[in-house]
Amino acid sequence: MADREPVIGIDLGTTNSVVASMQDGTPTVIRNRGSSNLTPSVVALSKTGKMLVGQIAKRQAITNPTDTVYAAKRLIGRKFSSAQAQDAMKVLPYTMVAGEHDDVRVQLGEKKYAVAELSAMVLRELKADAEAFFGTSVRKAVITVPAYFNDGQRQATKDAGRIAGLEVLRIINEPTAAALAYGFGKSVNGKVAVFDLGGGTFDVSVLDVSSGVFDVIATGGDTYLGGEDFDNRVIEWLVFDFAKENGVDLRKDRMALQRLKDAAEKAKIELSGAKEAQVNLPFISSPAGGGAALHLQRTLTRDKLEELCGDLVAKTISICEQVLDEAKVKPTDLKEMILVGGMTRMPKVVEAVKQFFRRDPCKGVHPDEVVALGAAVQADALTNADSEVVLLDVTPQSLGVAVAGGFVRKLIPKNTTVPTSVTEVFNTSKDEQSTVKIMVLQGEAEVAHHNELLGEFILTGLRKAKRGEVEIDVTFDINSEGIVSVSAKDRETGLQQSIQVTASGGLTEDELRRILDEQADMLLEARSGEELTAKKNELKALMAEVEELLPKLEQSTQGSEFGKDAAIKARAALDSARNADEGLLLAKVIESIDVMTRTIGLFKGVLDRIK
Amino acid sequence: MAEGETVDIPQERQAEILALEAKLKATHFEVLGLAPGATSEEVRSAFHALSRKFHPDRFHGRQLGSFKGKIDAVFKRLIEANNVLTDAEKRQKYLDENPGLRGSAGGAGAPSAAPAVKTADEEARDAERRARFARHPYLARASRTQEHITKAKAHIAKHEYSHAFSLLNIAAQMDPQNAEVKALLNDVRKKNDSQRSETDLKRAEELVSQGNDDLALQALRAAVNANASNHEAAYKAALILERKGADVREITGYAQKAVDAAPGRVEYRVLLGRLLDAAGMKALAKKHFEEALRLGPDHPDVKKHVKKRWPF
Ligand SMILES: Nc1ncnc2c1ncn2[C@@H]1O[C@H](COP(=O)(O)OP(=O)(O)OP(=O)(O)O)[C@@H](O)[C@H]1O
Ligand SMILES: [Mg+2]
Repeated sequence: MADREPVIGIDLGTTNSVVASMQDGTPTVIRNRGSSNLTPSVVALSKTGKMLVGQIAKRQAITNPTDTVYAAKRLIGRKFSSAQAQDAMKVLPYTMVAGEHDDVRVQLGEKKYAVAELSAMVLRELKADAEAFFGTSVRKAVITVPAYFNDGQRQATKDAGRIAGLEVLRIINEPTAAALAYGFGKSVNGKVAVFDLGGGTFDVSVLDVSSGVFDVIATGGDTYLGGEDFDNRVIEWLVFDFAKENGVDLRKDRMALQRLKDAAEKAKIELSGAKEAQVNLPFISSPAGGGAALHLQRTLTRDKLEELCGDLVAKTISICEQVLDEAKVKPTDLKEMILVGGMTRMPKVVEAVKQFFRRDPCKGVHPDEVVALGAAVQADALTNADSEVVLLDVTPQSLGVAVAGGFVRKLIPKNTTVPTSVTEVFNTSKDEQSTVKIMVLQGEAEVAHHNELLGEFILTGLRKAKRGEVEIDVTFDINSEGIVSVSAKDRETGLQQSIQVTASGGLTEDELRRILDEQADMLLEARSGEELTAKKNELKALMAEVEELLPKLEQSTQGSEFGKDAAIKARAALDSARNADEGLLLAKVIESIDVMTRTIGLFKGVLDRIK
Repeated sequence: MAEGETVDIPQERQAEILALEAKLKATHFEVLGLAPGATSEEVRSAFHALSRKFHPDRFHGRQLGSFKGKIDAVFKRLIEANNVLTDAEKRQKYLDENPGLRGSAGGAGAPSAAPAVKTADEEARDAERRARFARHPYLARASRTQEHITKAKAHIAKHEYSHAFSLLNIAAQMDPQNAEVKALLNDVRKKNDSQRSETDLKRAEELVSQGNDDLALQALRAAVNANASNHEAAYKAALILERKGADVREITGYAQKAVDAAPGRVEYRVLLGRLLDAAGMKALAKKHFEEALRLGPDHPDVKKHVKKRWPF
């Protein structure tokens, strides 16, 4: 074994990063050269022009706020114009600018850095730590990302690995990694849930574990919910009262902001053990009109902190609810519940989790290290023929294509086990349409432009015919590495086009909407007989219900303007539903189902009130 | 295997992969090496056992040649079989389309302790007749609808309305004109909603007693959504919102819902009155206070809030 090339697992965190590897059959954390297990995910350009990474970068943050980058993970793979990046700009003391493709760049001194480059510096540091430990070069790594990262964010993380000189064997999900570490070498059998609240992101996953097989059933989360948000609540609270008293907005001063951020996090962490914490920031600012320096001195209680952050905690629970629902399991079906991430040391979080899952979380996993350990387990599984571990991972978000009318037809729903491929038949949506455009979308929204555009291509040279007569097979394929490829084939001519999705489209929602509008003529129409029939049946049942309720409504609202109006509208809706039912357009049928459902709701509301 | 290619997979594993590849078109049960009718637990454990051997990750980084495509195809097929057979709805549909695969539970020739012994001949004729019936689209549909109705009724008897509701929903889709389904569905929808609403309310009460207002509020909102006449839930939601200093319009909305659903409850009137009063709608507030006073002159809430303020 000794001569096998070392492979490592890396947890690239928002706040801290950890590297681990399998040693003598046990996943083990590799300490950094400062002999600590955690390396802060911080990069800085020092006053003397040197690039600093990790603890040393973190230590000088207060005196060098504008050239110190932390929480880069919140920006990786995001568009500059996205709400999240804009939001981050308000609270992060360093300078962000837009890159050429609406990507985020960070200005450090003279140079602008892509976020992946900054993450790469952290990765390179960890790689060097591992090399120091093994005494040989290390090339291969598994890197973790939040389960709910989309394709663009994953690609950007992979790029960071490449820039750091690593061959990224696989990108795996943080909660999955946690479960791998937890279940490794134990004879666990049953379903487990992983609740991971870190510095920047929240993830929850449910897995079915049976002797070495880790079968992910469902996963969900929020890539923009974590300790940073808790800190921001405390900062807001401090800043707001300070402004009231002194008329100074501390957020405008980057040095003050950095100190506030530090103090807020410190107080938050202290409150996990104590009931009260002092925030003491002498000489934080000077008054607007001149005069003696101002000091900030406050006491934050645990109760107050919990009040400030109550909705954040509630949000994690409602996501848990959703994921358990998708996994079709009840809290009581779970064998074990695993807490991961520094924020799960907050008593309020533990309490909410206990209450929801109705059990004590599993002890004996180290919340800071478990993700990296799991990455090491998977790195070993991929390179060691004797490994007994198999990970059955899922697609975190749905994939589909844009169809006429501005909707999405989902081909691969979220939480589908990979590898997988799906083929569906589509039709032209216009008479004489000789070209179709395949736009590959990721996300859960039914309306196309609310999703992320992963890629697009065109299939030309179709036979000129009436709409709906030309049939196109669209195939989505995801291999076990998670790489998505999409192809479209004209059934008649065999003509085929395909793409491998490799980079994020880098479009904002508005741009995407505009493109979809402009290209409406080139889109496809979903056909797929089965789905259409099923939806039509659903529509028929609803139409029957409306038809049944209509006379009752007319009778009971006799004469009233409202009743007449409602009846007229309902008749028109029924007419258009009948048309949809006779046609071939899935989108129209779905639209009508929606209208009928709302009509029924309205009728029932009125009838209930009258009764 | 392509001519002269080197494949870094042990010989016997290669043979197993080829054998599975030959079964791609077989039934979902056969692909997993199971007998028809195997339970979903059996399916899952067979799938996991096969994953241990044939997941593409087991061959990561090796030279695979033409086996790369074969392994991919085989594993996707295993996933598909597992997906269909472990998902209640998909499984049901698959078995309906292939009644011969129901296994012993479906009665396809399984040895059982049936009281009347039939001859092999009769047995065969019966089976043939059943199969013919099952193939007839109308009968198949009707009998499936009937099956769903029977199951749904059993759930109704046990007050398990959400099960009943989903079964009936499926039945309604299969047979939209069926009057019995429609009637049952209507009834169960209401019962299901109010049951869910009650459960949420109970959970909220538990949460309040544990001091967790945020989660309690979530549960109460869900309770009111499921059943607008759950006045207790609406009232409690209003109280929590008030405690939290939420938007007055939202609080008033819930208080109004409570009063609408139970006009005779004194404390609801008092709360709504107080809220309206604070919002400056004195006339409306007065109406509710008067009503409260009339309904329960000795009610503690009336003593506390109304009599002090309104010395009529
Ligand atoms: N004792 C504590 N009490 C409360 N919060 C804590 C405590 N210790 C650490 N934290 C918080 O946990 C967060 C860091 O957690 P962790 O190291 O798991 O995040 P990460 O892995 O870097 O982030 P992510 O997984 O979101 O990318 C920080 O916000 C930190 O303030
Ligand atoms: Mg983490």
